[in-house]
Amino acid sequence: MDANIPVRSIYAVLPDTRDDTQGGASGAAAKDEMVDGHGGLRPHWRAILATFQGFGEHGLSERAARLDRAFAEEGVTALLPGASPDAPAWRCDPVPLPIPAGEFVDLEAALVQRARLLSALLDDVYGPQALLREGVLPPAAVYGNRNFLRALHQPDAGPQAVSQRLQFYAADLLRGPDGAWRVLSDRTSAASGIGYARENRRLLTRVLPEGFKLVQVRSMRPFFDRWQDALHRMAPDGRANPVVALLTAGITDPQWFEHLFLSRELSCALVESGDLTVRGGVVFLKTLRGLQRVDVILRRIDGQQLDPLELDGRHLAGVPGLLDAMRAGNVRIVNDSGAGFAEAPMLAAFLPALASRLLGEQLLLDSVPTLWLGEPHALARVRQNLPGWLLRDSFDSRHAPVAPSELPPEARGALFERIGRRPQDWTAVAVVNPSTAPCLTAEGLQPRPVIVRLFLAFDGERWQAMPGGLARVVPVGVHPGGALPQGGLSKDLWVLTEDRADIVGPGPLAVAPLALRRSSGELPSRVADNLFWLGRYVERLERAARLVRAAVARLVRAPTALPRELAELHALANCLCDAGMIDAEQAKPSLLPEALLSMLARTREAGERRPRGSIVRIFGEIARLTESVRDRLTGDMYATFTQTLAAARVETEQSGRSLDGLGHAMVAIQRFCTAVAGAAAENMVRGGGFLFLDLGRRIERAQAVAGEVGRALDQPAGHIEIGLSLILELCDSAITYRSRYMNALQAAPVLDLVLADLGNPRGLAFQLAAMHGLLDELTPNGVGGDHLAGAAAGLLAQAEALVSDVLAAPNQAATAATMPRRLHEIAAGVASLSDRISRRYFALLPAAQTLGWGEDAAAMSRDAK
Amino acid sequence: MRYRVRHVTTYAYATPVDLAAHVLHLSPRSLPHQEVRQAHLLATPRPSRLTDGHDHFGNKVSWMFLDLPHERFEVTVEATVDVRFPQAPDPEATPPWESVAAEAMAGGPGAWRAAEFAFDSPMAAADTGAGAYVAGSFPPGRPILACLLDLNARIRREFTFKGGVTTISTPVSRVLAMRAGVCQDFTHLMISGLRALGLPARYVSGYLRTKPPPGVVARRGADQSHAWVGAWLGAAHGWIDLDPTNDLVVVDEHVVLAWGRDYGDISPVRGILLGGGRHSVSVSVDLEAL
Repeated sequence: MDANIPVRSIYAVLPDTRDDTQGGASGAAAKDEMVDGHGGLRPHWRAILATFQGFGEHGLSERAARLDRAFAEEGVTALLPGASPDAPAWRCDPVPLPIPAGEFVDLEAALVQRARLLSALLDDVYGPQALLREGVLPPAAVYGNRNFLRALHQPDAGPQAVSQRLQFYAADLLRGPDGAWRVLSDRTSAASGIGYARENRRLLTRVLPEGFKLVQVRSMRPFFDRWQDALHRMAPDGRANPVVALLTAGITDPQWFEHLFLSRELSCALVESGDLTVRGGVVFLKTLRGLQRVDVILRRIDGQQLDPLELDGRHLAGVPGLLDAMRAGNVRIVNDSGAGFAEAPMLAAFLPALASRLLGEQLLLDSVPTLWLGEPHALARVRQNLPGWLLRDSFDSRHAPVAPSELPPEARGALFERIGRRPQDWTAVAVVNPSTAPCLTAEGLQPRPVIVRLFLAFDGERWQAMPGGLARVVPVGVHPGGALPQGGLSKDLWVLTEDRADIVGPGPLAVAPLALRRSSGELPSRVADNLFWLGRYVERLERAARLVRAAVARLVRAPTALPRELAELHALANCLCDAGMIDAEQAKPSLLPEALLSMLARTREAGERRPRGSIVRIFGEIARLTESVRDRLTGDMYATFTQTLAAARVETEQSGRSLDGLGHAMVAIQRFCTAVAGAAAENMVRGGGFLFLDLGRRIERAQAVAGEVGRALDQPAGHIEIGLSLILELCDSAITYRSRYMNALQAAPVLDLVLADLGNPRGLAFQLAAMHGLLDELTPNGVGGDHLAGAAAGLLAQAEALVSDVLAAPNQAATAATMPRRLHEIAAGVASLSDRISRRYFALLPAAQTLGWGEDAAAMSRDAK
Repeated sequence: MRYRVRHVTTYAYATPVDLAAHVLHLSPRSLPHQEVRQAHLLATPRPSRLTDGHDHFGNKVSWMFLDLPHERFEVTVEATVDVRFPQAPDPEATPPWESVAAEAMAGGPGAWRAAEFAFDSPMAAADTGAGAYVAGSFPPGRPILACLLDLNARIRREFTFKGGVTTISTPVSRVLAMRAGVCQDFTHLMISGLRALGLPARYVSGYLRTKPPPGVVARRGADQSHAWVGAWLGAAHGWIDLDPTNDLVVVDEHVVLAWGRDYGDISPVRGILLGGGRHSVSVSVDLEAL
């Protein structure tokens, strides 16, 4: 394809002739990134379009479909496996947004200046406050801003006490009709979106490799390397091999995916507030081997929720004493807690004056025209040209702007009444139509308005922009500028380069030699806790499926049950009840079909109470725990877990109200459990994480075997054979038994196989021996007083003694029928061991509470005054 | 006047506290007319870490951390303080209240610090009801101190001093409706009303002498932490402290501990505990004239 590509064949509708609905009455027509408005193509698009043309007619849409699938598989789109498919999600358009090299150099220089400016602004506002004293900033700009955190103000500290409060900065930009870029909003707290930008690039490279051959695109990797080095260098006193932790709110955070992603990209520990503790002015991570010092915290939670002692004590979120540790210089927090101050939309109106006062420079890049309504006459100017302005909160940058001209008259009146009462809380920004860029739609390429977010990090000496960014399509009817939404259509931003040589970063940081380690002692206690429970729940689900299948097989076979089957069903009903899957009043063979079917019917009736062991609840727990330990799983393992779980869920939901369908669903569930066990055994390094996952499985299985064998033996001595055959079925041991003893069912051989045979992976002894080994590995030689491995060995001895007693008895059947009590004791022993493991390793903390805010202060005033 | 302050706060916990972090606003601040001759802070059990510093408002603050289990926490402050705040200026010589509000809003060299106290704070946001009540003392053009003295007297006259009817989180509108409360309530009410008029007002915590001067009626709120209002008269006259609970201008019967936008900024003992269960607190305050 030559350069004179016919433009009309690219866009189904030409942007410069289409009906401009975005601009409304106010703006000039938007510019297009690809075509120049005179029938020509901008030069930097030629190679990209040539690549697309090589794909043939449906080539591009096929790539788009692959891109969507890749996003779904990586778990970028849905936060929790099985979350509603309608939940907002990020997609990536296959058409990138290229930026020519020279243009990016200018943008970078302008944004570096802006980062320096906002950094200087923070240092003044949290330090000497000269801007307030001189009247460069009005008092409302600081004291009216809810993100000005007084606890962070250091009035008596010198200017060098805490500096560089801003280390990571992002800006949303748009290109106006005049072709110039403008800043739409500044992000200084914990700017999100960089993870999505990086993920777009990674997946687009996979799906569209040809695109990167014809065009030279700058790599983003050196930016992350430099950023990682910078975080390490920031450690107090230049500590060698410092620990950098990324602080997240956890899986409930809308940006959880990005936190996971960043913690991997920057090689830092992913921690939640509860994982940290401050002792003696030093921050520590609670791990299995005790407290591990943390040197640098990359903050991805709200700055106000960092330390409940000094920030917002009415909520307990955060780490008490963290600010004291920071002031003492024992930990660095990036960005500073108070950095969100500089995001206030009203500040854009003051930036030219601030640049002149703080930097002695002229602002290189304008903001979208901004009026702070706290200034006299500003409101009148807005009223004169209502369609030309959007209104937004002066201080909270998360709220999207509102177009007053689009409001119905009453709502507009109410809005202006609110503004009239407190004009300083409102800021007007001019309507500027963003440029359009080609996006793939069902009707071919269509121009869509786009804005871009660019990211900068401070490397200790200077600011660097990431060569790349997150381009977003602005949905119809949305006025951009608020918080990053939870989903939408994005584009990979390509920074083009003229020559092959990529910009080379500084050499690798000199790292002190690492001591060799074979164990994973630094595993945070919370992660160990979650893995332990993941293991337990997966096993619990497997037991549930096995029990339901056994019951269904009997119910389907014999509509009028024989006495033998009735006895088996009775035992199974008791097991199902023990597992919490059905209620006690349903635990009768005659009620069982209804109980089993209603168990699944309940999946569709929201609000109805579910039994505690219901399969639906277990699904939910497994999904939550899988997500929360995601940083400990390889990508393949995560995909195996979530995809087979989703398949099992779908099968369960579609099983309908038939016993047959129920049986099929249980097979899918067992397939999921096998997949988890296989993936874990083959992919996880022994010790640490795997150890707790395995320990959880063993505990759950040991408890279930002991309980179920007890239920099955709960028969009249004459009918013990019925219980024995059920035991072999539930423990998946019938084939082994037959190969050893042919068909003669006797109590001692059966119980030996399921309770005392160390080689039977479905038997009790195998679980107890495995627990013994795992616990011994965790604390060799039983250090620490509470000898957990010894307790497991004790339980094994109990099981062996039980089998010997049955073997030695003159009447095996009669003796076996008395064993339920001893099996119940073993099951209770396993449960108590599980509690002791929790107490020992998972740092169960007493509840936190606050003093001095609520009732005790009231008590003080009640006392006498 | 020279005073000896003794302020003891004791927390008793139902179960041991494993880990405690406290922020204390318990050391009297030094001021041009208040000299802190000596001050001692003593805590039991002994804290594992103690940091002293100043907060955003310039108050003295101590951060205290206890990382050994304890069932009781007691902190005592003893200080000797000389106070003699200047007499109030001639009310009629102070500027009209509207110009004081405008001065605060504009900020800049003489007003930027005071301006902060005209803005809302969590426990004392500008309140329409309180604003309407306060406005009764603020006719157009009246000199600000004349307005404030009138308001100070009205609150003393029209509100009943009564413990137990409010808590620290009782909203100002409720106090206004009941026409009753304690010193914290009257202080928050007056601040909310002044802020509704755009005037800077701050919450001052401190102590009132336990035994009144000879021949003077007993004061309300002695024997306890006390609270009153700091009001700004404009850059030329600065701040004046008014005690609406007793209709007093603060001169030499009060000792200033700290000030902030409201109680929440300067709660004397604040903390985050791990464990502890239910707790009880007892406070004893003594301000003895030497």
